[in-house]
Amino acid sequence: MRLLIVEDEDVLRQQLEVGLTQHGFIVDSASEGRNGLYYGTEYDYDAAIIDLGLPGIDGIDLIKQLRQARRAFPILILTARGDWHEKVKGLNAGADDYVVKPYHLEEIVARVNALLRRAAGFANSSLEFGPIQLDLSAKRVALYEKPVDLTAYEYKLLEYLMLNAGKVVSKAQLTEHLYAQDHDRDSNVLEVFVRRLRQKLDPSQTLNPIETVRGQGYRFDLEQGAEK
Amino acid sequence: MSAHQSRYSLRVRMLVVLGAVLLLFLGFTGIALDRAYRNSVEGGAAERLQIQVYLLLAALEQEAGEFFVIEDIQEPRYAAINSGLYGFVYDAALTEMWRSDSALTLSLSQGEQSSRIPEVGEAIFDTVIDSNGERLFRFSYGILWEGVETPFSVSVAELAAPYFSEIRDFRRSLGRWLGGATALLLILLLVLLRWGLRPLARLSLELRNIERGISQRLTGDYPDELWAVTENLNRLIDSERRQRERYKTTLADLAHSLKTPLSVASGAVDTLSSSSLSAPNLEEGNAQLLVVKQALERMDQIVAYQLQRAVSTQNHATLALRVNVATAVSELLAVLEKVYAGRRFIVESQCDEGLQFRGDERDLLEVLGNTLDNAFKYGAARIRLIAKQGDDGALEFYIEDDGPGISVEQREFVLQRGARADTLAQGQGIGLAVVSDIMASYQGSVTIEPSDLGGAKFVLTFPQPETEPARK
Repeated sequence: MRLLIVEDEDVLRQQLEVGLTQHGFIVDSASEGRNGLYYGTEYDYDAAIIDLGLPGIDGIDLIKQLRQARRAFPILILTARGDWHEKVKGLNAGADDYVVKPYHLEEIVARVNALLRRAAGFANSSLEFGPIQLDLSAKRVALYEKPVDLTAYEYKLLEYLMLNAGKVVSKAQLTEHLYAQDHDRDSNVLEVFVRRLRQKLDPSQTLNPIETVRGQGYRFDLEQGAEK
Repeated sequence: MSAHQSRYSLRVRMLVVLGAVLLLFLGFTGIALDRAYRNSVEGGAAERLQIQVYLLLAALEQEAGEFFVIEDIQEPRYAAINSGLYGFVYDAALTEMWRSDSALTLSLSQGEQSSRIPEVGEAIFDTVIDSNGERLFRFSYGILWEGVETPFSVSVAELAAPYFSEIRDFRRSLGRWLGGATALLLILLLVLLRWGLRPLARLSLELRNIERGISQRLTGDYPDELWAVTENLNRLIDSERRQRERYKTTLADLAHSLKTPLSVASGAVDTLSSSSLSAPNLEEGNAQLLVVKQALERMDQIVAYQLQRAVSTQNHATLALRVNVATAVSELLAVLEKVYAGRRFIVESQCDEGLQFRGDERDLLEVLGNTLDNAFKYGAARIRLIAKQGDDGALEFYIEDDGPGISVEQREFVLQRGARADTLAQGQGIGLAVVSDIMASYQGSVTIEPSDLGGAKFVLTFPQPETEPARK
């Protein structure tokens, strides 16, 4: 999952970058509004975290301009004042949730996960497709209620595919959202991960959860279980 | 708005004083004119009677104490009985020596004759009353007859009634004219006062409009005498507004500058506690970090609470603008439904159209936002909001949820207006305390009741200031 952080306070931005990277996100960050707008319109993000008090373009304007540029990714705003007047302004401009400073990293992670889940159309933090269960907040996967041991990359890949279940996800899209640097983007590596995932999730080869769409990419294609 | 106790309005004061002056002036004028006219009428009568005396003297002759008319008197009224003109001659002892034929049956009432005899050459003009009660003017003249030692007095009396009726006529018409003039002047005075005081009425209307939020400052052209007042009022209004803005900006800056380092510190604590897993003295380190973390949280609460209080306790009642309640409610609900989108609430909201809140929009948003947020946080699936105008004109909000509710013992605690945020329980949000504070600053109230949805029902009441000044 690729996140954009726009925060002018250097220490806070670094803390967020480090913390969110540790939680498995790919993070790009900007220290002022104009850079933020450039990143936000130039790249495809899964979510953005935007501080309202920014130099250059201020947070509210940045959100408005991103929405005008038809960027639909969920936006979490950080606000220092925390009064409703500001929250209403921010959310009316197009943000989806707010966190009042000072915050805990866990809170940010939880909010971002919830936003990602909602953007993908899931109401619950636990995704269930057939016998496969994925817990977004605990980052755990279970098959027939038995935990499946996945590496960080395998988990990220599965999470992205499941959040986009039913849709064809191209290899380019996967690399952009799952890898921080361009040089990691080797489609052979991706194929290896997909093969390993298939082995772990479908050892008997009866489910076929990840379908290869020839020339286009992959599709997670299982019947969605009842939501908890 | 202070209770207005007007002893006497400007209009009444001026009316009373000017009216009194007017009445006094016209009254004295009337009395003086009446006097003067009466004097002139009586003077005229005296003059005519004096001529009559000379006429009589020319016609009278005396011999051996007997007076008689030697030739026809030019005035025929002396000959006709009760003609109204009578002639008399008295000696020094006031004994009647002669009377004209006209006075044959006339008798002057008791005591009237006994006036003193005039000196020779002296004239006395006085009034006597006859036995019928009729008033007569009398002119007496002292003379010395040839060959007689003692003086005589010749007096002529004439009925005064015609003169008096003349005076009465004059008085009547004088009264009419003066009365007319008084009425006219009073009307003129009223018109003048109305016209003269109109700028004041307009000033009060404009001020009321500013208070209602219809206009921003005094605009009308005012007379020179009021100009200084309206200019200063405008300056006051502007400076109040600027000060409020400056205050808010300063607070926003302060909030930002305090909260950012707090964020940095708590972020650093988070990082430390997650990276110290392998450090020695793990338990001790984590315990210390927890203390720092809690201290930071408390500091944040104090900062947030005091800032909210400072922002919300400005004077909002006097020059407040009007806020559309329906707009504020729908904005807040839209925001909250977005934030709590994952929970799929059924939100039921009833808000009378045209409902208005008199005060700062931020305060309304803060109060409703915090209460609604609380409902969304603890509610399970249903939220209800009702906004309406109460019977006594107060603005009322009912915010209900189907959560676990708030027990009777906890209700007071939850709404405690902790003047010191450090009395708040760990983890307790400042939201409801802020609500209590803002409500108190509007002389409003907030109470918690059980809701028929199953959870808590918050009742917020804003007493709305009178639209019209209390004076009637």
